[in-house]
Amino acid sequence: MSDIDIKRISYLAKLKLPSEKEEFYSNSLKDIIKWVDNLKKVDTSKTEPLHNVTEKTVSIRNDEVSKSNSVNDVLSNAPERAQNFFKVPKVVE
Amino acid sequence: MKNSISQIKKALIEKKISVGELYDEYLAKAKSGNNNSFNLVIDRENNISSINDSQNRYDNGNPLPLDGIPLGIKDLFCTKGIRTTASSKILSNYIPNYESFVTQQLLNDGSIFIGKNNCDEFAMGSSNETSYFGPVINPWKNKNSQKDNLVPGGSSGGSAAAVAEGSCVASMGTDTGGSIRQPASLCGIVGLKPTFGSCSRWGIVAFASSLDQAGPLTNCVEDAAYVLNSINKYDFNDSTSSNHQREDYLVDINNSFEKKIKIGIPSDYLEDVSDDILNQIDNTKKALSKHGIEFVDVKFKTTEYALSTYYILAPAEASSNLARYDGIRYGVREDGESLDDIYLNSRTKGFGDEVTRRILIGAYVLSAGYYDAYYRQAQKVRRLIKNDFQRILNEVDFILTPTTPNEAFKIGDKLDPISMYKNDIYTVPTSLAGLPGISIPSGLSKNGLPLGVQFIGNYFEEKSLLQLAALAEKELSFNE
Repeated sequence: MSDIDIKRISYLAKLKLPSEKEEFYSNSLKDIIKWVDNLKKVDTSKTEPLHNVTEKTVSIRNDEVSKSNSVNDVLSNAPERAQNFFKVPKVVE
Repeated sequence: MKNSISQIKKALIEKKISVGELYDEYLAKAKSGNNNSFNLVIDRENNISSINDSQNRYDNGNPLPLDGIPLGIKDLFCTKGIRTTASSKILSNYIPNYESFVTQQLLNDGSIFIGKNNCDEFAMGSSNETSYFGPVINPWKNKNSQKDNLVPGGSSGGSAAAVAEGSCVASMGTDTGGSIRQPASLCGIVGLKPTFGSCSRWGIVAFASSLDQAGPLTNCVEDAAYVLNSINKYDFNDSTSSNHQREDYLVDINNSFEKKIKIGIPSDYLEDVSDDILNQIDNTKKALSKHGIEFVDVKFKTTEYALSTYYILAPAEASSNLARYDGIRYGVREDGESLDDIYLNSRTKGFGDEVTRRILIGAYVLSAGYYDAYYRQAQKVRRLIKNDFQRILNEVDFILTPTTPNEAFKIGDKLDPISMYKNDIYTVPTSLAGLPGISIPSGLSKNGLPLGVQFIGNYFEEKSLLQLAALAEKELSFNE
């Protein structure tokens, strides 16, 4: 197992770990990855991955218009809103 | 002594108690809050129209299946207009404007929600210690050290403790790797995880979508059948919801089996376990043998890989599911100068340690260069685990295992994550296979703490599983 680049992993997960906690998570991750490493010895060369355990067909609905959430419902939990929009800091200059 | 749903309904029909009085009785216990089993309790005035409607139906002689029954709901189910937090800081202000499918069925059947049960944050934990609102305390005490507060198990720890302490008649939990069965066992109650695809996941805060399943925690097996009758329905909004014909789980539940039943005991599950745990299996075997049930040894080939498979797949799915929490559309936002800063700050400050850890594991096993070695390999091993169960279930009708490897432990005792993860060693394999499992109380440990056994049945065969559990329950019942 190669070393775990905790900065890269936390970047991928959109987390900004405080520097004093980087080692804590890094060690923890190393232990867990080492623990799950026993899967590598299982011969799966003839096995297909299992995505959905009951392997039933996923149902597809007809493309029909229906009334569901109102704009106000959708925005009711927004931390910040402006009129009918979610408000965020300016993204483009 | 705790009353069952059918006993309570009888008292309501015979007017020995009113729906309002019943609600007040449970509400008083829920409000005392000694075990921190609720994140939120709903006052009588906020439920007054449901209470009155329910009483009217009793007065008119046409009560619904769960009419007036006070239920606890794990704080992972979206409840319309009622704060739903997943016991996380990041959702601590979230008020859904829709009702989850499962809780809607329970409302349609007349039940009344007494509150939202504390749980591990985003259902990630086996001791209910990861909740942003603090740990839940198991109502049971070790008779040799009465002062210690014990964990109720997790993640549905609040749901289990609430039923055990008598602050609701039954409760709803969710089970991803054991989160209904394990706390049920540690709190001395019944916990059922139905087959994956039985009860809709729509409106349940997602943890690992290929594993999450809703189910009841109850005082007795018959109560589990009552709740299952209500919630086990096809739902178009969950693409993994199975649309097979459901049965009435109450009918015949107390009948004996017409055919000869064979139960497998996996000998590899019982290596290195304590006498306390072995006794549970022995007692169950003795009790059921009296009814002509045959027991045979069975051997799995994949047990040693189950936890590893689970701790790759569940965090992978979690890291993907929890990407939605960004502080923009709902949940708690932490300030930042740029949009990116808002994402980073909201997520970093909004998630607790265990959730952060699992997101990181998930991001790692899904990242370029590791995807095939970990995530894809785990999905393949998952198929081998499923095949292993199917092979055994071709030989026997049910499988009997312990529910947990130990009794309830002290709050704060298990600090390292791997020893915590091992709590689910007997429940995780069933979850990976998607099979139904039920934990029923089977006896007390040397310390006077409850322990349970788990019965595993075949896909969608909850009816016979409940029938077996009801039979075992009659033989194994113990008093507190």
